[in-house]
Amino acid sequence: MFFDVKKLKAKFIALLIFVFVLSGCDYEVSPWSLDADCSDEVSIARNIERLKAYEQKVGTRSEYQVAIISDPQQYPGSFEKLIKHVNTLPEVDFILLTGDLADTGTKAEYEWVCKVMEKAKQPIFAVIGNHDALAFGKDIWARVFGPEDYSFTYQNSKFIAYNDNKYEFTNVPDRDWLAAEAAGDAERDYTMVFSHIPPWDFDLTLSQELKDLGVDLGVHGHEHSFDYWQITDVQLPHYVVTSTKKKGFGLLTINPAGYTLENCTTSGCTVAQLRNRNAAL
Amino acid sequence: MAIGRAVVLILSLFGAINVSAFDDVEDYLDLQSGSLMGLAHASYGARLDSHNLMIGIGYVPELSYHKEMLLYSLRYRYENPTSWDIKGMAFTPFNFGVGVLIGDHPDLFVQLPERYPDGYYTPSAFRIIFNYQAALQVTPQLQAYFDMSIMDVGFIGYIREPDFYHDNYDYLGLEGIMNWGFGARYVF
Repeated sequence: MFFDVKKLKAKFIALLIFVFVLSGCDYEVSPWSLDADCSDEVSIARNIERLKAYEQKVGTRSEYQVAIISDPQQYPGSFEKLIKHVNTLPEVDFILLTGDLADTGTKAEYEWVCKVMEKAKQPIFAVIGNHDALAFGKDIWARVFGPEDYSFTYQNSKFIAYNDNKYEFTNVPDRDWLAAEAAGDAERDYTMVFSHIPPWDFDLTLSQELKDLGVDLGVHGHEHSFDYWQITDVQLPHYVVTSTKKKGFGLLTINPAGYTLENCTTSGCTVAQLRNRNAAL
Repeated sequence: MAIGRAVVLILSLFGAINVSAFDDVEDYLDLQSGSLMGLAHASYGARLDSHNLMIGIGYVPELSYHKEMLLYSLRYRYENPTSWDIKGMAFTPFNFGVGVLIGDHPDLFVQLPERYPDGYYTPSAFRIIFNYQAALQVTPQLQAYFDMSIMDVGFIGYIREPDFYHDNYDYLGLEGIMNWGFGARYVF
């Protein structure tokens, strides 16, 4: 026979493996690399620019919506479905992503989430969660997204993102920074804060402190279920969004007369019901 | 250090098993780069029939994209006897393994630090690595191989939400979870 079929088959398979290896996979020296392959489109600075440009283009909006998604850790597919759904909502002007993008803080997990974030049509703002800070997650966060605390204004309202992951960081939240950012509240329609963890049970004075700063609403994740509460004596509402695993997201509708919050899935939304709780709970 | 003591214990066990229990055990030294095992990862391996057990230590120097750290591993690999002859060299395309990788760095933990409540996290220093190897017997004592590996979270993610990886990455979505490296092992 002119060709030795067995040898040809072996060479072909070896070549296939070689091509696959070199073109399809990453040469990773360990699971703990810092150089997550995320585009600048997900960085906080870039998204603040995008939102500013959008605001200049549309001018004053009588009403607009903010989509709130949380805890996509380990479920990038469910996260992608939510982002694709939010992309179809015409009144959503930007997206808040309230933490726990990764589960174990590895580069690969960040890359999967970035892949989805890059598909968002609207500006998208992530705040750091406790799981994001595991392993070398803090370094990856700084490289990919930028600061852990930041703020931006939109339609005469201020949105303040703060890091409150107490076990992973020291001296958080940065109360002095929060006070400086919230200053000037009287001139704005609203001041809203967002963080991963709702005011902790042992730190419920934070809700009072935020209220005293003029904050109108707190938006959070972490608990993997919807909740909407205020401490009876404080009267500052805190809205908690479920996880992407449960295929839910929050929808905040804002107009000069007030704001409403809805618990949503891709099938529809129901209005979130505010409940009172005691500080001692 | 706890990790160091564990490594010494396992090495001792390796030696004891090898010397006393199995005459047919083949010893080898394995040197690998990449595929999540470190820039360089040296392992001592013992082979009995198609079964391999390896214990190793890896190193990553300070790089622009990586902190300096040591890595320890304990790995099992199954070598399927299927082999093809390529210019007089045996090519074994079906080798599969699983191993535990432990990162040694202050930012990683094996035991949950005291500042956390019990059960708040699983150890961040442990990773389970699944791998595939295609090996070429260059000389009777020297074998070279390609290694492709998947980390635990990638494996779980791919099983759980395959559509995400299929839609966003090439090669059936495996591009999103696989890593590659290469290495050689010397039988002595």
